[in-house]
Amino acid sequence: MVTPPVSTAAAHADASAPAAPDHASTGTYVKVAVILCAVTALEFAVIYIRALTPILIPLLLVLSAGKFTLVVLFYMHLRYDARPLSGLFGGSLAIATGIAVALMTLTGAFLVFGR
Amino acid sequence: MSATRDVALFREDAVHAHAPAATGVWSWITTVDHKRIGILYGVTAVAFFLVGGVEALLIRLQLAVPDNALVSAPTYNALFTMHGTTMIFLAVMPLNAALFNYMVPLMIGARDVAFPRLNALSYWILLAGGIFLNSSFLVGAPPDGGWFGYTSLTLRQYSPGLNIDFWLLSLQILGASSLMAAVNFIVTIIDMRAPGMTLMRMPVFAWMTLVVQFLIVLAFPAITVGLIFLMFDRFFGTHFYDVAAGGDLTLWQHLFWIFGHPEVYILILPAFGIVSEVLPTFARKPLFGAPVVVYSGVLIGFFGFGVWAHHMFAAGMGPVADAAFAISTMLIAIPTGVKIFNWLATLWGGSIRFTTALHFAVGLVAMFTIGGLSGIMHASPPVDLQQTDTYFVVAHLHYVLIGGSLFGLLAATFYWWPKMTGRLLDERLGKLAFWTLILGFNLAFFPQHYLGAVGMPRRIYTYAPETGWGTWNFASTVGAVGIGVAVLLVLVNALRSLRAAPTAPADPWDGRTLEWRTSSPPPPHDFDSIPPVYGRDSFWREKHGDRHGRRPPPIPPLVEPHGIHLPAPSYWPVVIAVGLFVAAVGALSHVLLVIAGGVIVLAAAVAFALEHHREPTHEHQIGNLAVDRRKIAMWTFLGSECMFFGTLIATYLAYRGRSVTGPYPHEILNIPVTTLSTFDLLMSSLLMVLALAAVQRGDHRQTRLWLLGTVVFGLIFLGFQAYEFTHFVHEGLTLQQNLFGSSFFVLTGFHGGHVTLGVFWLFTLWVLEMRGRLAPRDAIKVEVAGLYWHFVDIVWIVIFTVVYLIP
Repeated sequence: MVTPPVSTAAAHADASAPAAPDHASTGTYVKVAVILCAVTALEFAVIYIRALTPILIPLLLVLSAGKFTLVVLFYMHLRYDARPLSGLFGGSLAIATGIAVALMTLTGAFLVFGR
Repeated sequence: MSATRDVALFREDAVHAHAPAATGVWSWITTVDHKRIGILYGVTAVAFFLVGGVEALLIRLQLAVPDNALVSAPTYNALFTMHGTTMIFLAVMPLNAALFNYMVPLMIGARDVAFPRLNALSYWILLAGGIFLNSSFLVGAPPDGGWFGYTSLTLRQYSPGLNIDFWLLSLQILGASSLMAAVNFIVTIIDMRAPGMTLMRMPVFAWMTLVVQFLIVLAFPAITVGLIFLMFDRFFGTHFYDVAAGGDLTLWQHLFWIFGHPEVYILILPAFGIVSEVLPTFARKPLFGAPVVVYSGVLIGFFGFGVWAHHMFAAGMGPVADAAFAISTMLIAIPTGVKIFNWLATLWGGSIRFTTALHFAVGLVAMFTIGGLSGIMHASPPVDLQQTDTYFVVAHLHYVLIGGSLFGLLAATFYWWPKMTGRLLDERLGKLAFWTLILGFNLAFFPQHYLGAVGMPRRIYTYAPETGWGTWNFASTVGAVGIGVAVLLVLVNALRSLRAAPTAPADPWDGRTLEWRTSSPPPPHDFDSIPPVYGRDSFWREKHGDRHGRRPPPIPPLVEPHGIHLPAPSYWPVVIAVGLFVAAVGALSHVLLVIAGGVIVLAAAVAFALEHHREPTHEHQIGNLAVDRRKIAMWTFLGSECMFFGTLIATYLAYRGRSVTGPYPHEILNIPVTTLSTFDLLMSSLLMVLALAAVQRGDHRQTRLWLLGTVVFGLIFLGFQAYEFTHFVHEGLTLQQNLFGSSFFVLTGFHGGHVTLGVFWLFTLWVLEMRGRLAPRDAIKVEVAGLYWHFVDIVWIVIFTVVYLIP
């Protein structure tokens, strides 16, 4: 007997249908875009403010991390998706960041007076 | 039990009126069956193993007596380079891949891997890379810079021929193959386990396979970046490893060992998984502390990323770095020791059957322990300084990789051969091979501890009689011949078995895991019905009950209302691999061939991607996670990309202040213009999510609009980048000008390459939409492309900050 074609994933009967899109609304997407642009403008502005020089690097890193997080959570939908996906990406990102920082340390990138 | 064919069996090729191709060469070329691909991996790996073995024997024959002139010094360099590279990338890794392919889907109760065509592509690319590497012999330019390829030995100045070019290009090709396979197996294991098989019920071999795939995904990008730098230094005159221009030779060592040490676990953890299956089966006892064995494997994998610099104690990193890596290296001995004690406890009190597979598994425990103990010696920097670059290290690594990986692979061969072939191997011949191997192996490598301790350096092609090294070198050579004899005995055993009639039952060892529940060899669809899972060692429980003999109540077979779906064969994986091969040949001969190869790859990749577009069987690929598998695969790949760009960015930051000549970053970077291009890319991400929302609700007009908008914004970004690059060149900053130019152009250039690929991908989707072939059920394709596009965006967010804004 030949039966209609479906993936073997159909064996998982409770999960065989695609989940309905559970994403942010268009309004949220636009708000995120506005925030991303505003933060980018802020990043551009702060480098010209002499008073911020002592905290410039951490400030820029925080602003950049904020933009990064917004895109990942809303545009890449991790906020709405299955937790294991966050683990897949977050774990890899953490290891990559750790190794990058260790690599820079070991190659002298953080030496104030050079090598 | 034997498989029956009275199942509702459906083939895609029936729908497409393709003739089923079950036999003949073409069926093997186009196969996407995980079992056949496993066999292809196995046969290919054995062939390369023999090549690597002959190289090893030549090395040992050359060293058998002092002042020997069997081979010249350059030939000797090529022999040890090709031996190491071949054994690691073309023998042990593919042999492991053969077992992953054949066994893991069976062990987890799946009908195939998540992406069968991608699986075929991984194999064919591996074959292309292997042939390309070994074709270097044909043109008289075999790689000769060691399997570690240390700069500056491998720079054009010191290796002007094609030798190193062959090596670095083939390693890039092999890396692509490994990465594809790793993503595939991660998705398979996470998402395609039979109902009831929770992660902690999964066989330990499947667990170790999963850990290894994560290691590949995260470790290979580091060597990819290192090889890209080497390639740019050799082909385009950049300065990544040019000390005179401010470059750092230890950068290569770091990048290589960030990959190289996890690679040790990539090679050995599958063997640990094999032992964890073989010992319980032949001790007729559950694996002692199975969850702890699993956790130990995971910990070994995790710690594996934090120990790489113990390979560099002699490089002069300083006491703090030495101490940190010494501690982390000693820590990794703990989970390894836990495994060894758990295996011993598994055997303790067991009803042991002394099969050949058990011999090899116990041999692994003993031999690997010796290798592990000498490894702990290397963890101590003062001791390591004495042992570095001596034969002591050669002895250590061979106790780990032969005593560990090879013994494990031979245990697996004798254990799973009946499942793969339907035939048993000769146990007497097998045990003869085991004893020959263990004697030969110890005779070959144990004396090397002594030779190293008395000062015999590695990689010397001969030595003077006055050194007194002759006796033990001769003994070592005799031992190596013994290893060769043992390998021949295994091959003879295998060939004799293949010529005999298939008589192996489905479950010859009274096995514990699901692969023994189907026929030997399994049918194309693996199982007539998805097997029930009663717990860890599910099949054992089904047959024998728990320790009180109580059998679980039978679970009725899972109803698959739509029958069984088997993927159709495809020839596109072979075409893509041929394209890559042509491009690699072109890189060493003529740029037109590079272009031709690139066109073949691109065209075949598009055909590959669209081969099953809109086919109902491919619409919903959803399993354990209730998330489409393509999305899981993309997130896994993006994790790998994090490592790739993380390494590129770290290198840029390490090098940005080291140029010995201008222009310097603050003199040339145009922040206002780059801010505009950043706005542009951020807005493209907004258009991308709007396009996804439109396709999900079936709004074709808006789908076209937003997809095209994203493409246009991507093109504008590329225009900004082209303007910036052109401007910089006019200002005197080129790839070759200084270290800043090298690291800046490579980092932003690779990001631009990713943007270009994303634009092409989105344009393809837009064309599909224009032709009316993008419906709401295809939204996953837009979503996966969107994930890639947003990732390119977040990478740029980081680049914009660390390259342009931070002073």
